[in-house]
Amino acid sequence: MSRAVRVWRVLLTGLLVIMAIAWLLPAVWVLVTSLKPTENIVRVPPEWIPWPATIGHYGEVLFSSSRTARIGRAFFNSIVVSLGSVAVVVLTSAMAAYPLARMRFRGRDLVFGLLVGSLMVPNAVILVPQYVLVQRLGWLSTYQGLIVPEAAMTFAFGVFLLRQFFLTIPSELEDAARIDGADPWQIFTRIVLPLSQPVLGALAIFAFRSAWNDFLWPLIAVNKPDMFPLPVALALLRGAYAAESYGPIMAGAVLSALPLLIVFLVANRRIVEGVRVSALKG
Amino acid sequence: MRRGAFTPYLFLAPGLALFAVFRVYPLLEGLWLSFTNARLGRAQQAFVGAANYARLLDDTRFHVSLWNTAYYTVASTVPILAVPLLLAVLLNRGVAMRTFLRGAFFFPFTLSVVTVGLTWLWLLDPVIGPSTYYLRAAGVPVRSWLADPATAMWAIILTTVWWVTGYYLVIYLAGLQDIPRELYEAAAIDGAGGWRSFWSITMPLLRPVFLFVLTGGGPGDATRTVVQHLYETAFQNFFHFGSASAMAWVLFVVILVFSLLQFRLLRGHTQY
Repeated sequence: MSRAVRVWRVLLTGLLVIMAIAWLLPAVWVLVTSLKPTENIVRVPPEWIPWPATIGHYGEVLFSSSRTARIGRAFFNSIVVSLGSVAVVVLTSAMAAYPLARMRFRGRDLVFGLLVGSLMVPNAVILVPQYVLVQRLGWLSTYQGLIVPEAAMTFAFGVFLLRQFFLTIPSELEDAARIDGADPWQIFTRIVLPLSQPVLGALAIFAFRSAWNDFLWPLIAVNKPDMFPLPVALALLRGAYAAESYGPIMAGAVLSALPLLIVFLVANRRIVEGVRVSALKG
Repeated sequence: MRRGAFTPYLFLAPGLALFAVFRVYPLLEGLWLSFTNARLGRAQQAFVGAANYARLLDDTRFHVSLWNTAYYTVASTVPILAVPLLLAVLLNRGVAMRTFLRGAFFFPFTLSVVTVGLTWLWLLDPVIGPSTYYLRAAGVPVRSWLADPATAMWAIILTTVWWVTGYYLVIYLAGLQDIPRELYEAAAIDGAGGWRSFWSITMPLLRPVFLFVLTGGGPGDATRTVVQHLYETAFQNFFHFGSASAMAWVLFVVILVFSLLQFRLLRGHTQY
């Protein structure tokens, strides 16, 4: 490699690192704010080192805020709803994607076409009738009233993603198992699913993210403060504190970002792979 | 019927039941509701023909929100396409620390719309936000960016670019990796410079990726302003499920037409 090329790469790396840090600054500012005592939050010029630091805002929003739904409770609700939705999505889409990738049957192309076509329908279009349906089922302000519609929202995408992956698995293994007398369910659970762990993981993360971050559906489907998931509770928190204090609001924002941040740090490559497969291998 | 003919349907059953009840049925029910005078809490509803649609013709707030949605879509398209593309092309030039860089740009995409909103409200706060201080120090006259209609849209576009760039960056990077290196080598032998090969090789071959980004394969929430109006009509002010459903269907058709147009436009381009 010539010297000029090497110098150019170092400069380019430096430039991109500066841009990446700038990109992270808004998030850093949120974290810094959440750690400052109230009287230090509004300072001119802005202080980027939260010293003296406090975790008091975290304690307040998690446990003692009587003004709104407690963030601690909302955190628990979000975990239940997101994990529940992940379980439903992964199970139903894997089961549906398998015959679409591997079996020949009447109506296969129609079913697949309908599922892919449904990805074009904005969620807002079915907001009102979905409310009517969930109300009729008596599911307002319940976990199933959040889990099942969230799962239905991600199902078609999951089928699409998994089918693309199943198509890439060589079919010799399945043929061999079939000759040994395995039935389709055994082939599916003992051969196909274990081979698909990476893409199942990517789908799980995707489903978790979309359930964890959804705001509009829980906003209308839940009217008991005890059942609010995090995004709704956070929005209310802002209403309750107004501009009076950014500390607790920012602490709530950090808490709500934490689980996905951890998942993201642990499974960075897998998420990227999932996005890649879903977008380009169509 | 031969043995096992039911097997594929058994595999499909749970998922399709979920899909039929919670996606297909509500879509059709919404179409029906849009022709009725349904309200929250009203047990019976009557068919009112196209009255809800006719009322939308006079609903100036709906027009404004539809216009804002169109304006946002057009204005945000270029930055949402170009910023991640620029970053992807730079990142693809053999720089170090790729994982860190990609992660830093991707991080905002893991946040919820509420968290993103709270973050930028605080950053852009016209009195005590940090951006206010730095802009003043740089001699820029500070306004209430989010309250002023002239700047609110751009503040939202800035926020959205910050939010979704990492997602599209990852997609572009994958698309760039799928372009065979030999094409660039051949172009270099023929004397094409970096700029020339970007326009003649990279851009045309990324076409499927542009298509994905544009047709809302991602979080594209261009519909926000209309959805806000729809939400208020259905759940806050009037509890008019009928007219909210009519709005939803108008929105749906507009988006469909718009997507098909984009599809056509990009498809009609160079073929490889």
